[in-house]
Amino acid sequence: MEPQPAATRKVIPIVPQPVSASASSPAADGGEEVMVSLYAAHQKIYPRSVSGLFSNWRWGMVFLTQLVFYGLPWLAWGQRQAVLFDLGARRFYIFGLVLYPQDFIYLTGILVISALSLFLFTAVAGRLWCGYACPQTVYTEIFLWIEKKMEGDRSARMRRDALPMSLDKFWRKGGKHLLWLTVALWTGFTFVGYFTPIKLLGLEVIQADMGSWEVFWTFFYSLATYGNAGFMREQVCKHMCPYARFQSAMFDKDTLIVTYDTERGEPRGKRSKKADLKTLNLGACVDCSLCVQVCPTGIDIRNGLQYECIGCGACADVCDTVMDKVGYPRGLIRYSTENAVAQHWTPAQTLRHVLRPRVLVYGGVLGAVVIAMLVSLSMRTPFKVDVVRDRGVLARIVSGGNLENVYRLQVMNATESTQRYQITVSGLKGIQVSSDSLVTVEATQSRWVPVRVHLPFDAAPAGSHPIEFEIASMDAPGKLTEKSVFVVPR
Amino acid sequence: MTKQRLMWIAWPAFLLACLLEMLVFAMVDPQDLHWFGRPVDLSRQAVYTIAFFAFWGLSMVASGLTTLLSMSPFEVNHCPLPACDRPDGCPKQGAS
Repeated sequence: MEPQPAATRKVIPIVPQPVSASASSPAADGGEEVMVSLYAAHQKIYPRSVSGLFSNWRWGMVFLTQLVFYGLPWLAWGQRQAVLFDLGARRFYIFGLVLYPQDFIYLTGILVISALSLFLFTAVAGRLWCGYACPQTVYTEIFLWIEKKMEGDRSARMRRDALPMSLDKFWRKGGKHLLWLTVALWTGFTFVGYFTPIKLLGLEVIQADMGSWEVFWTFFYSLATYGNAGFMREQVCKHMCPYARFQSAMFDKDTLIVTYDTERGEPRGKRSKKADLKTLNLGACVDCSLCVQVCPTGIDIRNGLQYECIGCGACADVCDTVMDKVGYPRGLIRYSTENAVAQHWTPAQTLRHVLRPRVLVYGGVLGAVVIAMLVSLSMRTPFKVDVVRDRGVLARIVSGGNLENVYRLQVMNATESTQRYQITVSGLKGIQVSSDSLVTVEATQSRWVPVRVHLPFDAAPAGSHPIEFEIASMDAPGKLTEKSVFVVPR
Repeated sequence: MTKQRLMWIAWPAFLLACLLEMLVFAMVDPQDLHWFGRPVDLSRQAVYTIAFFAFWGLSMVASGLTTLLSMSPFEVNHCPLPACDRPDGCPKQGAS
C-alpha cells in the first residue's frame, strides 16, 4: 500500500455505540432521564481517637499555636500591648515596630511569604499545614478531645447517638456543648484582644461595659469557632477550602505524603493471629478498617491519595499499632513519597530527592522575598511625610521681594517618643522655608503642618518648577525627601 | 446539596470580603468618608464592621449567581420529584 499524502488523511468516522437502556439518552429511546446526584448524602463522621508519632506532633503543634494565639495579646512591650492592631487609631504595633496604613507593603510582604512558605512545605512534605497548623485542624482536635472526655470514644458516641434522649445523654451532650462554648468564647475574646487592648477588654467584660462592636465581634468569632470545630469539621476541608483543590499543582512524585504500601498490603484480608503469612497468600493488611475509623475526613487511604486527605497521619499511627499487635513490621501506611514506595527507597534515598528544581525555585523565591523584607524593615526611616500643595493659595507676592507658595506637610512619627523634625527645601536658587522649620510630633502621632516657602522674585521664570523637601529627624537617624512643585505666576 | 451550595456561596465570599476589607481600609480612612455629601457620623469600628458585611453580602451575591449559572439543565428544567410524586396542580405533573 502506498503512503497517502497528508491532504487525504484517512477518515475515521465516529459512530455512536449502542449502549444499555439505562444509560441511553432520552432523545434516542424516549426513556426517562434519571437524576444522578454526584454527592453522597452527608453522614456524620465519628473519628476514633488515636495516639502515636503523628498524633504527638499534632498535639505539640496544637499547644504551640495556641500558646502563641492565646498568649501573645497578654504580652507587654513597655507601657503597651506588644502586638496590637489598633484599628480605631489606624496604627499596628508589633513589638518595637509602629506601622501606619502607609506601611501596607509589609502586610503584602507577609502574605506573599505565607503563600510561598505554603508552596514550599507542600512541595516537600505535602499538607503539613492542614495536618498540624490549620486552625480548622487545631480547634477540631481540641473539640474532639473535649467530646471524647464527655462522651467517650467513637463506638460509645455512636451507640449513645442511636439511643433516645436520657438524663445521662443530656448531661454528657450538654456538658460538651458548654465546654465547647467556653473554649469558643475565650477564642473570640482573644481575637478581639488583638484589636482592642486585651487587659482593658478584660476589665470591660468584668464590669459588663464592653463596646457594642467588641461584643459583636467576640460573639461572631466565637460562633464561627463553635460551628467550624464542633459541627462543620471535615466539611470545611472538603467543600470550603480552596487549598485542598489546588494542592496537587504543588505535588510531584517526590512529595512526602501519607501513603499505603499497596504492594505489601494486598491482597488484604482477615486472618488468624497464628496463621503463617507465607502460606496464606495474603498481604500485610489485616483489613481491620481502623485506618478508616480514625480518619477525620472519613476516607480510605488504601484507595490511594485523595484530595480529602489532610495529611494528618492518623491512619499511619493506628496502622502501626495494629502491625505491632500482629507482629508485622511497621509502616504499611507511612509518610513517604510515591517514588520511594514504588522503588523501595530507604529514608536516606528519599531525602536525597528533596532538593529538586521545584523545591529550589520555591525556596529561592521565598528566601529572596524574606531578605528583601528584612532589609526594607531595617532600613525603614521611623517617620513618614506627605506633601500637599495648599490649593487655596496658588502663589502670592509677599514683602521683601519674595514669592510665596504654601504647602501642607503631614509628618507621621512612627516611634514611641516625641520627635523633632527639621524641614528644608531645595531645587531653586534662593528658595527657603520662611515659616517655623522645626516641627515637634508626639509619639506615634501624625501632624499636619502648614509650611510657607519663599523664593526671591525673578529667581525663576513663570511656570511650575520641581522642588524637594528634605525632612530630617533631630532625635533619631533618618532623612526623607519628598517631591513637590513651586509655582511662579505670570 | 443545599448545604454544600450554601458553603460554596458563603465561604469564597467571606475570603473575598476579608481581602477587600484589608485592601480598602489600608488605603481609606473611614473618617474621611462622605455619604451623599455628608461626613459619615460613625466610629471607625462601626464603618469597618458594616463595610465587612457589605463586602461579604455583595460577594455572596456573586458566588450565588455562579452556583445558579453552574446548575445543569436538568436541575433547571425539571422537577426533582419523580412524576408520580408530584402534587396536584403541579405544572410539571404530566411531564416526564
